[in-house]
Amino acid sequence: MSEPAIVVRDLRKTYRTPFRRKKVEALSGVTFTVERGQIFGFVGPNGAGKTTTIRTLMGLIRPTAGSAAILGHAIPSRDARRRVGFLPEAPYFYDYLTVGELLDLAGRLFGMSAAARTKRANELIEKVGLDRARSQSLKKFSKGMLQRAGLAQALMNDPEVVVLDEPMSGLDPIGRKEVRDLILELRDQGKTVFFSTHILSDVEAITDEVAIIARGQLQAQGSPAELVQKTLRGVEVTVRLAADVATAELETGAERVRRVGTELAVVLPADTDVDAWIARAHTAGAKIISVSPRHETLEDLFLREVANADTTVEARP
Amino acid sequence: MIGRIWAIALNTFREAVRIRVLYGILVLVIGANLMTLVLGQLATNEEARVTRDVGLAGISLFGSLTALFLGVFLLYTEVQRRTIHAIVSKPIERWEFVIGKYLGMALVLSVLVAVFAVAMTGMLTWQGFGVSSAIIKALLMSWMEVLTVAAIAIFFSSFSTPFLSGIFALALWVIGRVTPDLEAAARDASPAISWTTKITLQIVPDLHLFAVSGRSVEGVHVSVHGDFVSWGYVGLASVHGLGWIIGLLALSALLFHRRDFV
Repeated sequence: MSEPAIVVRDLRKTYRTPFRRKKVEALSGVTFTVERGQIFGFVGPNGAGKTTTIRTLMGLIRPTAGSAAILGHAIPSRDARRRVGFLPEAPYFYDYLTVGELLDLAGRLFGMSAAARTKRANELIEKVGLDRARSQSLKKFSKGMLQRAGLAQALMNDPEVVVLDEPMSGLDPIGRKEVRDLILELRDQGKTVFFSTHILSDVEAITDEVAIIARGQLQAQGSPAELVQKTLRGVEVTVRLAADVATAELETGAERVRRVGTELAVVLPADTDVDAWIARAHTAGAKIISVSPRHETLEDLFLREVANADTTVEARP
Repeated sequence: MIGRIWAIALNTFREAVRIRVLYGILVLVIGANLMTLVLGQLATNEEARVTRDVGLAGISLFGSLTALFLGVFLLYTEVQRRTIHAIVSKPIERWEFVIGKYLGMALVLSVLVAVFAVAMTGMLTWQGFGVSSAIIKALLMSWMEVLTVAAIAIFFSSFSTPFLSGIFALALWVIGRVTPDLEAAARDASPAISWTTKITLQIVPDLHLFAVSGRSVEGVHVSVHGDFVSWGYVGLASVHGLGWIIGLLALSALLFHRRDFV
């Protein structure tokens, strides 16, 4: 059986503040595994340790303790980096270069021949939609265009593992969809994609596995389906009311009420007798428009795990 | 390995071209040559001497200052702007990156020296004076001095801010240029100062080795206008410079290797 794409074991990173030399623990024993061929979403609030983990994996930061391996090579390993593509967070590139020159530089660092560099660069420029900006220097690129250039340089070596730090950052909805499609396309080609993000809808839509990190510790890991509890959290019922009907009785016990014109939407707790509520609504002359069960979302889970992490840290002596 | 180092060197050279450093160099050369013409007119029958002196002083002064200016920003800017993140995450060793950056800067500085040298020899030829081997030797030594100063600047840039690196590197350049004066001063100083000066001179590159014109070497007064040092001396001075360059780059690479790029 082949090695997992990424293995992280008890990874720790402690910094010291410049003057007071106070210890700041950015990573406090992070452990997770990314299997090959997966799309792995790494989510967490700002300052959770996502970027520190990624920079450690890419050899930019030396861990204080613990270990990590990419494709079986312990980091920092040049052999691993040869097979990995990396998009840094808010990428900064040499802004005096054109996108073609940036890709050529990346190709040279991967030891590609001149012909292979030119061919691959042309393919990627077209794929990320920068064909019309070929002659412009990166200085003139918008944030979204820079992100696309960054994606292209990350794919220059046709990597087995692609590590993307906030790839959707700075992109408009169309750009985000294009990146999501690109990630799915990479997975279809058999590549492993490990990406960090704040955008939970993207994670829910495309990932095979998710890890939630907060306060430098992993809070949860699993497939979105496993992580999100399937227990009913409530029922949302929308009705159309007859004119001048009092709604107080229908709103009693509801978790949330929203009324727009004659339309009333209530979220009822999971243990409510929905049939009885609907019968009352009928009696009041209301017409049922929809009844939708509400399950836990990834956002609910994320917020709960982050809150738990905050409580745990604050409770420490 | 060579391909990766060359890629970084080429990119560093390209940066200097794109940010118009080379145009600045061209302006300096034109300015120096105009000064040569004016000073040559003032010093009757001394046009050749003025051309040689201004030309060589121009290479040494502007070359070293350019090396200091480019060098102190070289590694610091890469870390500060995070451009290094997309580079060292590729299969390149950090020492290869440091060497590549240095070679790219050395290429820019070599262009500067070459442009100055061509301008000076062109002026000498136009004025009807030949280009002696003494001039070639002096040019080679000035070039080596500039490359050594570049290594000093990159060394400080590997761990310090451009401001501090600039101060340290400038101090080392000044001390390195006046080593014989410091040696002479140490002889008459108190034992403590004398000892401190001797220690300092041991840990500072002797840049005066590269600018011998006007002093005695092995009992012979040397000058770019007449007697000048032997090829053997040029070779030894170059070995001294190369030793410092290799040593400083090795230290820079070591310091850079230990850094976290946050």
